[in-house]
Amino acid sequence: MSTPIKVDIWSDVQCPWCYIGKRKFEDGAAQFGGEVEVEYHSFELAPDTPVDFDGSPKDFLSQRKGIAPDQVDMMLDRVTGIAKSVGLDYDYDHVHQTNTIKAHELLHFAKSKGVQLEMKEALLKAYFIDGGHVGRIEDLADLATTVGLDRDEVVAVLEAQTYLADVKADVAQAEAYGIQGVPFFVIDGKYGVSGAQEAAAFANVLEQARSERDEPAAATQDAS
Amino acid sequence: MSLTSPFQMVGDPAAACVGDVCEIPQAAAAPTAPEDTDTNPLLSEHALVIRQLDENRV
Repeated sequence: MSTPIKVDIWSDVQCPWCYIGKRKFEDGAAQFGGEVEVEYHSFELAPDTPVDFDGSPKDFLSQRKGIAPDQVDMMLDRVTGIAKSVGLDYDYDHVHQTNTIKAHELLHFAKSKGVQLEMKEALLKAYFIDGGHVGRIEDLADLATTVGLDRDEVVAVLEAQTYLADVKADVAQAEAYGIQGVPFFVIDGKYGVSGAQEAAAFANVLEQARSERDEPAAATQDAS
Repeated sequence: MSLTSPFQMVGDPAAACVGDVCEIPQAAAAPTAPEDTDTNPLLSEHALVIRQLDENRV
């Protein structure tokens, strides 16, 4: 029984390319066919965003990035179309732009309970597809119950900021690695993959990592 | 992607997030380094005052 290929993924809950990249990675991992262990890490694209940002994502992008509103429309249309191509129905008319620090704390709590992947999927779906709010503790606690987490426990750890240091450690690690955009995938601690690459790219690098693991074993067998 | 990455980058560079909503603004990505107190007379003076206060406290 071989050790799974470790994949560390830096990602933000309100990053449209992260959800697309997640789907493409999952497709690539399925093509690869081997065992893969995924761990999500926190990355905040806009840590200074208020929890209750008063405006739409279009307003946010225009104000924050200084992009003309019609250009924002084009960007969102493009990403919505690409999301559609991987089976994701983004609904930007109902997205609640917010601060994602509590969502990241929740992801760390979910990791401690062994349901981080389920929580990540639930958060992305809530944000991009279902019009959910992923910044408020009460909304996050409701969402957490859908992956089997205890609501009261979620409220308690989020209010106590139990996992805030873990979030900050992830963000600091990303900065140390020079990561400026997400999603960012680290395969077996060796290969970096930036962006929502095609599934084949993920499958190839996973295969590459596996073959390099097998090489020393093959060399040992040849020598004996 | 910064050159400081310790990883061997693979995949299509064009797919990496550059200038899109999935990238943090460059200004935020590279915060201004703290000013060197040795070359900033105002900060040097400020640091000296703090040192003196600390010494007085001891």
